[in-house]
Amino acid sequence: MATFNFKNREIECKIVYYGPGRCGKTTNLEYIFHTYKKQVTGEMVSIDTEGDRTLFFDFLPMGLGKIRGCDVKVQLYTVPGQVQYSSTRKLVLKEVDGIVFVADSLEVRRDKNMQSLKDLHENLKSYGLSVLNIPLVLQYNKRDLDAEGIPLMPIAQMDKDLNRQLKAPAFPASALKGDGVGATVTEILKRTLLSLQKQLKWAT
Amino acid sequence: MDFREQIKSLLKEAELYQQQGLLNEAKERYRKATDLIKQNAHIPNSQQLIAKIVQKVVGLNQAMERINTATSKPQVSDRKQDLIKKLFSSGRETSSDDADLEGAIALAKFGQFERALQEFERLLDREPLRVAAAKNILRCQLELDALDAAVDGYGAWTQDPRFSAAQLQKVKFFLESRLKKSGRTLDALALEEPRKPAGTAPGGGVSADRPAQGIPPASSPEPPRAVAENRPSGSAHGGEEEYLDINSVGILFDRGPQKGRMVEFDVSFQTGNAINLIIPGKDRNVIDHLEAGSRLDDIQFFSPIAILNGSGVVTAKTRIKSGPKEGDFSLDIAIIRS
Repeated sequence: MATFNFKNREIECKIVYYGPGRCGKTTNLEYIFHTYKKQVTGEMVSIDTEGDRTLFFDFLPMGLGKIRGCDVKVQLYTVPGQVQYSSTRKLVLKEVDGIVFVADSLEVRRDKNMQSLKDLHENLKSYGLSVLNIPLVLQYNKRDLDAEGIPLMPIAQMDKDLNRQLKAPAFPASALKGDGVGATVTEILKRTLLSLQKQLKWAT
Repeated sequence: MDFREQIKSLLKEAELYQQQGLLNEAKERYRKATDLIKQNAHIPNSQQLIAKIVQKVVGLNQAMERINTATSKPQVSDRKQDLIKKLFSSGRETSSDDADLEGAIALAKFGQFERALQEFERLLDREPLRVAAAKNILRCQLELDALDAAVDGYGAWTQDPRFSAAQLQKVKFFLESRLKKSGRTLDALALEEPRKPAGTAPGGGVSADRPAQGIPPASSPEPPRAVAENRPSGSAHGGEEEYLDINSVGILFDRGPQKGRMVEFDVSFQTGNAINLIIPGKDRNVIDHLEAGSRLDDIQFFSPIAILNGSGVVTAKTRIKSGPKEGDFSLDIAIIRS
């Protein structure tokens, strides 16, 4: 749950990038870090391990400036995607305000996407949250590999697999090239701030 | 698609998956490409192609090994520990006490036990946090397999004037329950009794003859698994011969449904010249014809630094009857060097 400092008119919220291992969550944050310098307010911190796999989390602080009289600060996180880091994922998800689910478009990762979405659903449930109600955006990453002849899932199939019930906004993307990264983060910020406005009766 | 194109496409995919860190997927593509090449043995340079793929697979196995053996909770820098503490203690509309405790707990949850222990030690000074801090100190020590330190720590608190009898009772109950959960024998533990009247001088120090030594250490290794008994000696120096670590083996079968084909298996366990393979139950037909004593004359041993050819003898074949691998087969092979 976001913090709202009434005295300083300051709001701080938490967005978590979730998804299977090696789907491109860290690459999303790296792109944001290098591209949105104006909004980034500190260093990106990554705790990774052998093979550049995120071990604990990545963290990137951002400031969106004043929105309706409030100073809006955002913390972007990623979770470790590997199945065995379940407890760390749950820990990072604590007090989350909005989620970007990064799905891997590679055909060979179809099952991993579905498992990770199920894992997200269960972890949110343990905090009394629902994947159906929380601000959520899907990103279908690695679309650029289609041009290299690597088998990808069609968008329609990914929608069917992951978004049939959620009906969340979904963006094709290539985090490596930056395509779709901005659209994804913009959409999740918009949705998260709207949701916080409703919850906190802020700016009404 | 022409089979040449299929092979090219599989190898391209494998390369890309490897670059992306999708090592299992890369390995699978290499396996499929190898199968396809073997089915079309008339391809020029097929043997060289297979040898190149084998090299790639060895590289993949090495990378997988490094990942699998890397610690899951490494100690990170002080700066990162500070960040963990700050980010994962809410400090939101809660007291400083709560935030400090949450920060220390977060450090422990991320496996930063040494730093967490320092933080909890400091929190012992704060009356409202004392019991929670003490319990978390014990929890960290048990996570670190420092059972003696946990028991000694509790013993020291029984003489610490900061602890009331009621607080000590709670801590003792916690320690006992944690020990019980982990299957330690409490009879042998004889934890120091908390002093009876609250705040009075302790009834005595830590007993010198406290039989804590009787408790098996948390890290006590499992008994060594039974392995092949008829190890071939072959030592050139009269002592124990050193064997390379073998990640996987390729066995060329001369009988059975895979006759004439080399099938690759991951090595699940190795001690010296004895290796153990776990064969999924669904693949039992591949090893049906093997039994203790069967000789395997053509085996490729894939180690992180070399591929070796050799032979081996099956020393045991058993069906796993319980646990997560129930229904699979355990195959012990004694390596005989060529």
